[in-house]
Amino acid sequence: MAGPGRVRQSRPSATASQPAATDPASSLARALREQEEGLLNCVHCGFCLPACPTYRRLGDEADSPRGRLHLMRAVVEGRLEPGAEAYQRHIGRCLGCRACEPVCPSGVAYGHLLELARRVGNEAKPPSLVTRIILATFGSRWAWRPLLAGARLLRALGLPALAARRPRSGANARGPRLALAMLAASARVRSLPESPPDEVPSPTTPTTNAGRTAADSPSPTDGPDNRPTVAILTGCVQAGLFGRVNAATRRVLEANGYRVVPVGAQGCCGALHAHAGELDSARELARRNVAAFEAAGADYLAMNASGCGAAMREYGSLFSQDDPDAPRAAALAERVRDLSELLVVRGPRPGGSIHLAATSDAPCHLLHAQGVADAPERVLRAIPGLRLLPLQGASECCGGAGIYGLTQPELGGMIGGDKVRNILESGAAAVVTGNPGCMMQIGAGLRLAGSSVVVLHPAELLDESYRRGGLYDGQGR
Amino acid sequence: MSASPGSVAEIQALIRSAAAAGTPLIPVGRRSWPGAGGWAPKEGRALDTTPLKRIRHYEPADLTITADAGIGLDELDAGLAENGQWLPIDSPGAGSGTLGAAAATGGFGPLRQRYGATRDNVLGLEVVTGDGRLLRLGGRVVKNVAGYDLVRVFVGSRGSLGVITRVSMRLFPRPEEDRTLIYRVRAERALAMATALRRGHLPVAAVVLGSGGMEGGGGRAATLAARILGGGRGAREITGRVVAALGADPDEALRDEASRRFHDRHRQWEDDARLMVRLRALPDRLDEVVAIAQPVAAAVAGEIAADARNGVVRVKTPAAPAGRDEVVAALAGARGRVEALGGSLALDDAAGELGRRVGWVGRGGGAGGIVRRIKSLFDPHGVLAPRCPE
Amino acid sequence: MIQQSLVRELRAICGSYGVLDDPDALLVYESDALTAYRHRPAAVVLPRTTRETRESVAAIARHGLPIVPRGAGTGLSGGAVALNDAIVVGTARMNRILGIDAPNRRAVLQPGVINAELSVAARRHGLYYAPDPSSQTTCTIGGNVAENSGGPHCLKYGVTSRYVTGLEVVLPDGEVIRIGGQGRDAPGYDLVGLFVGSEGCFGIATEIEVSLLPVPESVRTLLAIFDRIEDAGRAVSEIMSAGMLPAAMEIIDGATIRAVEDSVFAAGYPTDAEAALVIEFDGLEAGLKGDAERARRRCLATGAREVRTAQDEAERAALWKGRKKAFGAMGRIAPDLLVQDATVPRTALPSVLRGISRISARHDLVVANVFHAGDGNLHPNILFDRRDAEELERVERASKEIMRLCVDAGGTITGEHGVGLDKKHHMTLIYGPDELNAMWGIRRVFDPGETMNPGKVLPDETQPVAAAVPA
Ligand SMILES: Cc1cc2nc3c(=O)[nH]c(=O)nc-3n(C[C@H](O)[C@H](O)[C@H](O)COP(=O)(O)OP(=O)(O)OC[C@H]3O[C@@H](n4cnc5c(N)ncnc54)[C@H](O)[C@@H]3O)c2cc1C
Ligand code: SF4
Ligand code: SF4
Repeated sequence: MAGPGRVRQSRPSATASQPAATDPASSLARALREQEEGLLNCVHCGFCLPACPTYRRLGDEADSPRGRLHLMRAVVEGRLEPGAEAYQRHIGRCLGCRACEPVCPSGVAYGHLLELARRVGNEAKPPSLVTRIILATFGSRWAWRPLLAGARLLRALGLPALAARRPRSGANARGPRLALAMLAASARVRSLPESPPDEVPSPTTPTTNAGRTAADSPSPTDGPDNRPTVAILTGCVQAGLFGRVNAATRRVLEANGYRVVPVGAQGCCGALHAHAGELDSARELARRNVAAFEAAGADYLAMNASGCGAAMREYGSLFSQDDPDAPRAAALAERVRDLSELLVVRGPRPGGSIHLAATSDAPCHLLHAQGVADAPERVLRAIPGLRLLPLQGASECCGGAGIYGLTQPELGGMIGGDKVRNILESGAAAVVTGNPGCMMQIGAGLRLAGSSVVVLHPAELLDESYRRGGLYDGQGR
Repeated sequence: MSASPGSVAEIQALIRSAAAAGTPLIPVGRRSWPGAGGWAPKEGRALDTTPLKRIRHYEPADLTITADAGIGLDELDAGLAENGQWLPIDSPGAGSGTLGAAAATGGFGPLRQRYGATRDNVLGLEVVTGDGRLLRLGGRVVKNVAGYDLVRVFVGSRGSLGVITRVSMRLFPRPEEDRTLIYRVRAERALAMATALRRGHLPVAAVVLGSGGMEGGGGRAATLAARILGGGRGAREITGRVVAALGADPDEALRDEASRRFHDRHRQWEDDARLMVRLRALPDRLDEVVAIAQPVAAAVAGEIAADARNGVVRVKTPAAPAGRDEVVAALAGARGRVEALGGSLALDDAAGELGRRVGWVGRGGGAGGIVRRIKSLFDPHGVLAPRCPE
Repeated sequence: MIQQSLVRELRAICGSYGVLDDPDALLVYESDALTAYRHRPAAVVLPRTTRETRESVAAIARHGLPIVPRGAGTGLSGGAVALNDAIVVGTARMNRILGIDAPNRRAVLQPGVINAELSVAARRHGLYYAPDPSSQTTCTIGGNVAENSGGPHCLKYGVTSRYVTGLEVVLPDGEVIRIGGQGRDAPGYDLVGLFVGSEGCFGIATEIEVSLLPVPESVRTLLAIFDRIEDAGRAVSEIMSAGMLPAAMEIIDGATIRAVEDSVFAAGYPTDAEAALVIEFDGLEAGLKGDAERARRRCLATGAREVRTAQDEAERAALWKGRKKAFGAMGRIAPDLLVQDATVPRTALPSVLRGISRISARHDLVVANVFHAGDGNLHPNILFDRRDAEELERVERASKEIMRLCVDAGGTITGEHGVGLDKKHHMTLIYGPDELNAMWGIRRVFDPGETMNPGKVLPDETQPVAAAVPA
C-alpha cells in the first residue's frame, strides 16, 4: 500500500559524463545514447508485453514496450533512422501509460526513455501541426487561458453535448466530434444518478460503507496552528475546465485537517510537453513552478490530476545533474502527493450518504507512474451508501493518454471502446477517476455510446458527501 | 517357435535377418498380453525379451531407475520397496508383466490422475528398430527436452516400431499408508458416488467400480473402491472427507497390504480375458458409457469394470465369442454411441476375425499419413507387428 | 525482400493489421529472449483463427518460403528466430480461451493464450493449469507446448507434456490435423506427446486441449539459508529420499542473492549466505504441517543456518521474491546475460555446482545459479557485456564446458528451454549419428520440405545426405 511517503524513483538521472556523439545521425541520437545504460537494463524477457494496451490490441511486437525499446536501441546502434516511418509510427502509438514499468523485473525506466525517444523522433521529423498547436497553447498561460475560457463558453451553450449525442455509430466519431464530446464530458454532473439502497446492484463481494456515519468520525485533532500545509496545483486544463474539482479539493483537504495555502504564479506542469518529447519546454515550465511552489512553502503539494502528479514527482530527473535548478526541483518533487494519499492518512473522515453504484478506474499516471494503488478506493469507502463495483481492466489505460485520442484516433478508439464496454458491464451508474484527461476521454466515450453513466472526480464525490454530512455547516459554504 | 537373444547385439542380428528373410517378429515379455490389441500378428516368430533383466542404474536419492526391458515389474518392485520407493504402473495386467512390455503397451490404470500415465514417467529408452539400428533416446534425468521426443512414439507403440531393450523410469516415494474404502451398493448408487468424489476435488488416488464379480460381492451388486495414498494425518483427513462426501461408512476398509492386494487383483482382472473391450469418454460421461457398455456385456455374457477418474469402462469375458453377428452388431453399435460422445471403443484383445470385422480401434484422428510414415521410418521392411492399426 | 504479391495475398487473409512487412519495424522480431541470435524475418503474419493460419501457411508454402511460429518470444534458445528470411507466423492474436470444461478439468484454447491467464480463468472453477514456467505471466501455451516447458512446481506435478491432451495442428503444407483430444487416451501412437517439445518444427498448434488440476487447498513455504551451496544440494536430495514430495524446491546461489539484494528488488536474504533454498509443500492442510516440520529438520541437519516459514500469503510472496526477481536483478548488474539450462541427476548437484564454479573462475566470469533443484534442473547464468568481444569468447568456452560437465555427470543439455539455435551444436554431446538420423527422419515425417522452423534443433552437418524420407 502506498502512503504519502512512497515515491517511485523511476527515472535514472541523466548523466553528463557521457562522451559527445561522434557519428553522423548524431545530435539527435545523443540523448538516447546517454541513456544507453538505461536501455541495456532491458533483458528482453518480454514480461511487459501483456501489460501493454497497444500490444494487446494489435499483437504487433513493434507496438509493445520491448519492441519500442528495441527500436530505440536500434537508433542508438545506428541501425535505424529516427526519422524512419517505423520509428515514428510505433513510438507515436505508445500511450505513455507506463503500465509496462511495474511489471518489468529489470526496472527499466520506460517513461523517461520514451520522453527521450519522442524528442529524438521530433527532431528528426517535426510532429503534426495539431500536436504542435496544442503543446504551444499549454506552454503559454496567455494562450491557454482565453482558449479554455472560450471552451467553457462553448460548453455552457450545450453545443458539444448536442453534437456528441447525434445518433451516429460511435466507432467513427473521430476528430472534431471526439473533441466536442470530450469538452461536453468535462461539464459538472448536474445530479447524481442515485438509486435507493436496495436497488443498487450488488457486486460479488460487496464493499458497502453502511454503518459508518459522519458522527463516528474523529474530527481533526490538530489545532488550527499546527495543521500541515498544502499547496494545490491548479493546473491548466484543471483550472480551465475543472474549476469545481479544484474547489472541492480545497474543501476536502481542509475538512481533513490540512491548511491550504495559496500559490502565486503557478502554471502548467509540463507533463504534456515532456510526454511529447518537448523536453526543453517542459523544463521551462518546471522552473516556473519550482519557483512558485518554493515561495508558497507548503509541507505538501496536492495533486488532483495524476498526469500532473506524475510529472511533478519526476521534476528531479527532468534536469541534468549539472543544472543548478536540479536539486531544488528534486527537493520539491519529494513533497508531491496525490490528493488521495493525503486523504488516506487522515482516514479520510466519513461524510453523508450517497446511494450510488460506482466503479473506480485507475489513472495510469497514478497507478503505474506513481505506484499509488488503493488510496483512491479507500477514499471512496469513506462515503456511506456508496457501492463500489469491480471494474474489469481497471488498471488498463482508457486511451486518453494526453492528446492520444486526437493523434491516434483509430487505436485510441479501440482502447477507449473497451474501457467503455467494461464500465457498462460493471453495472455502475458512475465511474470515478482522478485525472481530468481520463474523465474527458471516458466521458466522451460514454456519451458517444449513448450511455448515461456519469464520470466524477473522487474529490467531487467526497465533497458532495461532506456537504450532505454537514461537515461544512457553519463554515459559510 | 521363439528366439531368446541374450544380448542387444543378438537382437539386432535377429531383426536384420528377419528383415532379410521377410519373416515377422513379435517382441514379447512374459506373454500376458501377446495379442496386444490386434497390433501383433498371431503368426510370426516371438522374440523373447525376458533374458535381459538386469538393473543397470539405481540411485535411490535420484528417484530414477534404469533396467533391462525383460525384468518383471514384480521383481523390480521388490528392490524398490526396500528403499521406500515404487513405480506406480497399474495398467491392466502390469503386475505380472515386464518393464519393457509396460513401456511398449504404454497403458495407464486408475493411478494415472495422481502419478501420470506410464508415458509420463518413462525418461529414456533403448530400442532396436525394425532395421536393426540401436537408438538410445531420452536419458535418466527427470527433465529433458533435448531433441524431438522419440521416447513418446515408442511408448505405446506395442512393438510395431522397435524392440525396447532398456527403460529409464521416474520413481515415486512409496506412500506411507495405502487405504481402500469399499462400498457394495447398487450400480446406480456406485455411479452416483463416483460422481460425488469427482466433484469434490478430493485427492483420492483411484476410484474403481466393478460389476458384482469384481470383489466377490455377488448378485447384481456393484463395488466402488476408493483408494487413498499418503501419510498419517493427511490420509486420515482424506478418509474422513470421503466418508462424509459419500454419506455412508464403507462396507470394508482395507489397510496397507490388504489394500495393495485388492488393487493387484483388480489389475489382473483382465488376465483371463479372451475378449477385452475398452470404452472411454470424458469422466463426466461415465454413466452414459456404462450404459453403452451394458448391452455389450450382455451380448458376450461378460463383466464390467470402470476406472471412474479416467472415464474408462472395460468389458471382459473369459469365453472367446466368435464373430457372431449379434456380437459384431453390439460392438459396432456401442462404438457409434461412444464416439458420438467424443469417446472411443477399442478391442484390446479379441479373436482375429472379430477384430477384423469390428475394427480394432475405430475412428482415426485424421493423422493416418503421419502414422504410416512413422511406421515406415522405423520399420521400413515391415518386420515388426505389421498390423499397426490407425 | 518479400514479394508484394504474397503480401497482398496474406493481407487479404489476415487483414491489414495482420501482416507486417516494413523491414525497419521487423527489427523487433529479430530475436527472442536470447538476444545473442538475431535474424530479421522477411515478414510477420498474425492470424486470428485456424482458418487464417491454414490459408496463410498454404500461401507461404506456395511461394516456397520457410515459416517460423512465434508465441510471446520469451524463448531462451533462439527457437523463434527466423533464419533464411523466413516468415514469422505469430499467435499474438490467437489468444482466446475457447472453453473451460470444469467437470472434466479440461480447457480448450487458442495457442496465444498466456499461461498465467489460463490459470486465472480456471480459478473461477477452483482449477488451475499446473506447469508454471517462471515466464508464465507472459509466455504462451503454444510456446509451452513447443518447448515442453517446465517450472518450479513441475517437481511434483510434471511438465507440459503431462497436461496436453489434444492438439489441432496446421502442417507445413497447410493441411490441418487433429491429434488426441477429449482427454488424450485414443489408442495409437502418441502423436500429441511427440508434438510437444517439437520446437515449432512439425507445424503450428492452432488449438490446444489441456487438463487442469484443482487448486491446492493449502500451501506451506520454507526458506532455508545455507553457508555452503553443496549443503543446500544435499538437503534437496535428503528431503526427496526421505519420501517427501514437495511441490517445489528452488535454489538461489550466493552470487544471485547478492545481485538481488544489491538491486531495487532486495528480498531480505542474507548477503553473506552461499545458498537459499525455497521449499514449498501443497495439498490438504492436515498433512502439510508434518511435512514442513520434517523438511525444516532435514535442512538444519544438513547445515542450514536458519529456516524461515511463511505464515500467510504475504510472507510466502516475500520468501519467493528473491527467486522470482533473480532474472531481472541480474539484468541490472550486467548488460548481458546468458541463461543456461541443463539437467543433472539430483545426487550430482553438489559436484556439478563445484565444477561450475571452477569453470567460471578459470574463465574469469561471474556465473550465478538459480535453479529448479528438486528436478536437478540447473540454470547457470553467465553475466557479461556483449560489447566486449574477448569476454564473449570466454563466455562461449565456459558455456560449452558447463554443458560437457553436466552430460558427463549423467545429465542432459537442456531441461526446459529447448535446443533451438543455441544448443544444436551440443546435440552431438548426447546423441550419436543413429539417434540424430532418426530425429531428422521424424522431422521429415511432419515437414518433408524442411520449411517449418528450418535450421533448429538438429545440427546441419548431421543431416543425412540420402534423405531417408519415408513415403
Ligand atoms: C525470464 C524468463 C524465465 C523463464 N522461465 C522458464 C521456466 O521456468 N521454464 C521453462 O520451461 N521456460 C522458461 N523460460 C523460457 C520460455 O518462457 C519458454 O520456453 C516458453 O514456453 C516460450 O513461450 P513463448 O510463447 O514465448 O514462445 P516463443 O519464444 O515465441 O517460441 C518458442 C518456440 O515455440 C515455437 N512456437 C510458438 N508457438 C507455437 C505454436 N503455436 N505452434 C508451434 N510452435 C510454436 C516457436 O517456433 C519457438 O520455436 C523463461 C524465459 C524467460 C525470459
Ligand atoms: S519487462 Fe523490462 S526487461 Fe523485460 S522486455 Fe520489458 S522492458 Fe525489457
Ligand atoms: S507506456 Fe503503455 S502503451 Fe507505451 S509501451 Fe508502455 S504499456 Fe505500452
